[in-house]
Amino acid sequence: MPSDPSRLIAALARDRINLDLKTLDLCFLAGLYLRANRASLASFEEDVLIDMFEQVCDVVDPGAERPRKRATHAIQRLRDQRMLARVDGAGIVRSGEYTLTRLAAAVVEYFLADEALTRESLTLLTGTLRAQLAEILAAARRADTEDAWREQVVAPLRITVGDLVGGIERRQRGLDSQQEEVQVEIAKLLQADWFGAVERCQSLLDTTTHTLRELNEVLLRDTHHFVALLQEIQALASEAEQAEPEEAVQRVIEHVDRIAAWGGARQRAWSDYYQYVHRYLRDVVRLDPDRALSQRLRDQVASWPSTPFHLLVAAAPSIRLLRPLESRVERPAVMRPRTDREGSPDLVDPEDAGLNIETLVEGALAAGARSLAEVTEWVLPQFPADLRYAVTGRVADVLARITRTRSAIERPWRTVAPCLEVEDWELPSEGERS
Amino acid sequence: MTTSSFQSLEEAISDEHFPEVDLALRRGRHVGRDDGTAYDYLVDALNHLEPFYRRFGCELMQRADGYFYLLPSGDRLGRRQLTAGEMLVGQTLALMYLDPATLQHGGIVQRETLLQRLSGLLGTETLVRTLNPRRRKFDERIAAETVRTKVAEALRRLTDLGFIDSVDDAMLRLRPALMRFAEPVRDPSDRQAALERLVRSGEITLGEAVEKDDTDEEDENDGSDGHGAEDEEEEEEEADG
Repeated sequence: MPSDPSRLIAALARDRINLDLKTLDLCFLAGLYLRANRASLASFEEDVLIDMFEQVCDVVDPGAERPRKRATHAIQRLRDQRMLARVDGAGIVRSGEYTLTRLAAAVVEYFLADEALTRESLTLLTGTLRAQLAEILAAARRADTEDAWREQVVAPLRITVGDLVGGIERRQRGLDSQQEEVQVEIAKLLQADWFGAVERCQSLLDTTTHTLRELNEVLLRDTHHFVALLQEIQALASEAEQAEPEEAVQRVIEHVDRIAAWGGARQRAWSDYYQYVHRYLRDVVRLDPDRALSQRLRDQVASWPSTPFHLLVAAAPSIRLLRPLESRVERPAVMRPRTDREGSPDLVDPEDAGLNIETLVEGALAAGARSLAEVTEWVLPQFPADLRYAVTGRVADVLARITRTRSAIERPWRTVAPCLEVEDWELPSEGERS
Repeated sequence: MTTSSFQSLEEAISDEHFPEVDLALRRGRHVGRDDGTAYDYLVDALNHLEPFYRRFGCELMQRADGYFYLLPSGDRLGRRQLTAGEMLVGQTLALMYLDPATLQHGGIVQRETLLQRLSGLLGTETLVRTLNPRRRKFDERIAAETVRTKVAEALRRLTDLGFIDSVDDAMLRLRPALMRFAEPVRDPSDRQAALERLVRSGEITLGEAVEKDDTDEEDENDGSDGHGAEDEEEEEEEADG
């Protein structure tokens, strides 16, 4: 599995992962799960699946027609979504044998299992975890080979400790959802019974507060102990220069830190909520037992545009701070130093180096040159290399003036000197020129 | 009388909380339990600060719902009346504060829900006309945008005044000071008598608000260009002739 979340998400999107479970499907899975648990079944024969589907159908959708056909579709649908897996490998030779996948079990457990964190479950889990860590520490002290580290430290850390810590975390999430339910219940109770619900709300608040406080105390006490044991294992791994166990311990430490942080964060959040509800019960519900204030306020808002009134509030302006007095600063104008920019011209050699280009061109023509390239090639050697580029243009200029040139639509490029090419013109023969 | 940890006014105003709390109160802020130590300071220093503020012509009010505010009665300290937008939004939020459904989220409500409640209570047309008393005709799109702008502006000011806290762009936390908006109907007897009593004590004024031009005030407050849906509408009206 790729560790980068973006790649993982991209892979899920590419494979078009989705789940589409109807109530009937969920009930079917739950029925199978419960039956497997009760009868200790590892897998189900096809007939058992169909029989279970019909039973579920009788409860969920009593009037359904052709339940066997629907069962076939449901089984296929669940197989497509990796909820059921065929495990016999017999193909079409005989009817199949199926088992619930890990995904199906997790989905059903979510709906069926009541796995909230309680003081009992937490104490049991933390006790087991402590014993397990102590054993791993002893094993780490004994470990003298890489295999011993892997088998006696890394493996138990990843599997046993990982499962125990995961178990605590899962129950924490269970408690989170229980808290949410309490919040919804308090709102519903007040909605339904207003003043009559005060005592019940207070009791719900107190129970959850008590549970959270107890759990936080256990977590605070035990997580310190876990971290101390883990750090000792980590130090031993570090001394033995075993990178893998060190890394495995670090991951468990981070996990444990997360668990400890959960306790503090939930207690703070609950404390805010508790205070808010407590104030509400005292200031709103108890002072307005008939719940008439809301109705009167509603009427007030509705009639406000016709009979307006306005609250008055203090509105002292901010103190105006005057800026400290500053004498005016003369900013110098932007300028640059004066220089004599009218210097004497430099003396340079004439560009044609004393040669008359026109004469040279005529000489080339007389020598039988038949194109601009030939004329240029004939003329250029008379000039130094740094002037040849400029001379090439002048040759073309002279040629255009003293003779008629012809050119194709696509003029070919010809090399006339090293690193110098011209688009060629053809010249008329001597007879045509005259 | 509760025992104060301050022996004298001098001690009370020498406390590190005094400058912040004093400035907040003078700017109209309602200091409540949610403000933590600032509220505790006011509870502690109340006996010394009440006569202190009275000399400025205002009362330091403490409400049983758990908040303090300064109520000017003379001209020594500036005061202002809340705008129509602030009043409507404040009353609706007070109604939401009383609703048990708000409890579920610990007093946090969505801005969108506020707009729905407001429109449900008053009706869209009344709402638009109350928030734009000077407009003669309305384009539906621009009117809706104006309402949203006015409500957002009212929420910003109610936040400054300590009636609500802004959690993020979409959520608001309601504070007990909102119960000031329910003051006229707290007493189940005659509402008119309650209003008169509140007028006498300087808590409210009756009748239409004398509202400053919003654009001017916005420029003053936050330096924004003040160009909004209202201007757009004005331009359209002018174009219509």
